[in-house]
Amino acid sequence: MYVKGLAAFAAAVGVGLLSGAAIAQEVKQEKQSVLGNANVSPVTQEQLNAADKNSKDFLLTNGNYAQTRFYPGKQIGRDNVKNLHVAWIFQTDVKESLETSPIVVDGVMYVTTSFSHVYALDAKTGQQLWHYAHKMGPITVYCCGPNNRGIQVLGDRVYLATLDSKLLALNAKTGEVVWTTNIADPELGYSETMAPTVVKDKVLIGTNGGEYGIRGFVRAYDAKTGKQLWNFNTIPENSVGVWATKDATGRDMHRNIQAEKDMLAKIGDPYAKLGGGVWQNPSVDLATNRIYFVVGNPSPDLDGSNRPGDNLYTNSLVSLDLDTGKYVCHFQYIAHDVWDLDAVSPTVLVNVKDKDGKRIPGVIHAGKTGHIYVHDRKDCSLIRFSETMVPQENMWVLPTKEGARMLPGANGGVEWSPIATDPGQELAYAINLHQPMHYRVESSPYPNGKLWLGGAFTAIPGEQQSGNITAVNYNTGKIKWQVKTPEPMIGGILATAGGLVFTGEGNGKFAAYNSSTGKELWSFRAGAGVNAPPSSYMIGGKQYVVVGAGGNTQVDFKRGNNIIAFTLD
Amino acid sequence: MFGKLMMCGAALFLIASQARAETIAEKVAVCTGCHGEDGKPVDKTIPTIWGQQAGYLYIQLRDFKRGDRKSEIMQPIATQFERDDMLAIAEYFSQKPWPDLGQPRAPKDVAAKAVSASASVGCPACHLDRFQGDGTVPRLAGMGRDYLAKTIADFRTRARGNNPGMSDLMLATSPDDLAALVEYLAGL
Ligand code: HEC
Ligand code: HEC
Repeated sequence: MYVKGLAAFAAAVGVGLLSGAAIAQEVKQEKQSVLGNANVSPVTQEQLNAADKNSKDFLLTNGNYAQTRFYPGKQIGRDNVKNLHVAWIFQTDVKESLETSPIVVDGVMYVTTSFSHVYALDAKTGQQLWHYAHKMGPITVYCCGPNNRGIQVLGDRVYLATLDSKLLALNAKTGEVVWTTNIADPELGYSETMAPTVVKDKVLIGTNGGEYGIRGFVRAYDAKTGKQLWNFNTIPENSVGVWATKDATGRDMHRNIQAEKDMLAKIGDPYAKLGGGVWQNPSVDLATNRIYFVVGNPSPDLDGSNRPGDNLYTNSLVSLDLDTGKYVCHFQYIAHDVWDLDAVSPTVLVNVKDKDGKRIPGVIHAGKTGHIYVHDRKDCSLIRFSETMVPQENMWVLPTKEGARMLPGANGGVEWSPIATDPGQELAYAINLHQPMHYRVESSPYPNGKLWLGGAFTAIPGEQQSGNITAVNYNTGKIKWQVKTPEPMIGGILATAGGLVFTGEGNGKFAAYNSSTGKELWSFRAGAGVNAPPSSYMIGGKQYVVVGAGGNTQVDFKRGNNIIAFTLD
Repeated sequence: MFGKLMMCGAALFLIASQARAETIAEKVAVCTGCHGEDGKPVDKTIPTIWGQQAGYLYIQLRDFKRGDRKSEIMQPIATQFERDDMLAIAEYFSQKPWPDLGQPRAPKDVAAKAVSASASVGCPACHLDRFQGDGTVPRLAGMGRDYLAKTIADFRTRARGNNPGMSDLMLATSPDDLAALVEYLAGL
């Protein structure tokens, strides 16, 4: 999951530290919580189950439990999107990386910022209703920015996971803390940036920490009390696997299996410090009572010498039983990864064509490799993978001490950015990065919860970076259209029944595209990086689109503190 | 009897809290000898700890005590402290203002070199915007030049072995670029 820089872009556009130093200082304001009164009715499980058909609210981080990011409202469409204008702008107190997915419930919007703040806003006017300023413990350990991606509401509670690895339930009306639970010890490298997924009185949460030698997990906590209900270790005690020599697409990964076997005999199974973070939301299959998520990279990222075996279930799609947390199936994309080209972008449940053209329940994931992978939901098996959305070169050259050049760079392809799908068009929409990098390896023993990269990935100065928005037909694997962008893309995307996709760029551009052709139909300049997933909702018969513009720590895009809502007259 | 106990209890409480207050003051008094009475270190190879991130200060004291970070000077000092002392000391120094060491800004060409190197590795992803740090990641902006040069060199040789990740990143950066970064960071 770790972060790599943006040399070429910074050099070309002249942004970054030099200009940053000249501009006003970005400060983390230690604002106090302000309790308030949000007039919001409790969210029922039935409402959450039907979120995919609800155009009034935006109830889950990725729209619905299937995580399609397909918004069913269509008041804003291809013909009138050109008239979109700002309804309101809310400025938060925190001018740092903004990755929040706004949640809208009954006219109230919940957004979060870096350092785990939560705001409740009037979704029609942008007026603040309450503000929860988390009192952060002194010890936080995280690799890629003090991010927070949002909350979820169930009943009259707002669920939040914080950078210092706590899980909280807040009163949705007032912002008061109802309960707090410690998830894991930040001193050992655990932190939280994801929004919890709440379903059937369970709060599902994973963890960050793949750069610190953690042992990853997904857990369920009781929504009423905060008590842990089950724990699934993303790294099983037998993490060795089948000694796979090829990745999911059939390319040789140049593993030295004999050397690994010798090491295994010497040190035993390395499961205890093997990483495997999960920091994006699982999708929930309500019909089969299963959850699907992807597991991140092994620790240390680039040095495989001390972690023999396939390193299960790192870089994998995994499915569990929702009630018990018991393993159902998995599929590993890259065994024994030494490039940090792990699996991050959240899974999406859609019906797909299997190899015989029969329509079956599927699950798809967009990889850092630049492929969209299409699976059978029943057993996690791979049906197909898409054409590559970004240039690939020299895969899978092993990292060296001097640095080996390989594309894609370690951010992807598709980073954590959630994809959107339009089931009617059988399309998945993904935003991509293109960053040529050097992969270097260094070896060191487990450092007690400290940064453990096993080397470094560095953007190659002078090599051009860019990004793109790509529409892929997941039933054929073919690219339908692609729009190139001047910078690598990170944040997220939303598709709507109005035939549109909305997404933003690091240079502050936020735009709407025809979802069938990629033609740009409207754009807006936010003044800070638009690196967060958009949401949409309706109030008083009017559709709104909302997005955070706060830039990004990971790729160093210009910071801001704006939540911007748009609507038609 | 009841009254007496009450008084006794109150007196004890007073003594206990005084003792604790004195201990903290005593403990940090030692530090001024090197880290400076006004937060400006007495020697150029000694780091600034006034206004540094609390999480980072705590982790360093912990690492000195554990022997994960080697220092003939700091190890014996840190060994006297328990976890709670370290957290309190860290909090105490983090609340002090960061001192201005009056180091000059890096010249344009040096700054440009530093920015390019920093962007290649992605230093601000952890050290945050303008190198202010957060939590267990240290502030670097305005840190003493000689100390920066020394500790970066120590990371490269792993003489400073308490963060192999930082060592890896320093090894991935050329000595030339690091020299520019030192000058740039010191002058921020
Ligand atoms: C005799 C001089 C001396 C005294 C007294 C001293 N220090 Fe230090 N301190 C140093 C030196 C020198 C270093 C740098 C060590 C190195 O680079 O290996 C250092 C490093 C540190 C660091 C690491 C800072 C960083 O940026 O990495 C902390 C924290 C620290 N000292 C805290 C304290 C505290 C708290 C006290 C008092 C209890 C104290 N020191 C007393 C000389 C001293
Ligand atoms: C992935 C996160 C990360 C990145 C990227 C990173 N650092 Fe660090 N850095 C840290 C952490 C964490 C520490 C604290 C080390 C420890 O635990 O003792 C640190 C410590 C340091 C220190 C020691 C400061 C002191 O007071 O002793 C220097 C100097 C430093 N970093 C410079 C850099 C530079 C220059 C870059 C880019 C070329 C960089 N770092 C990139 C995380 C990072």
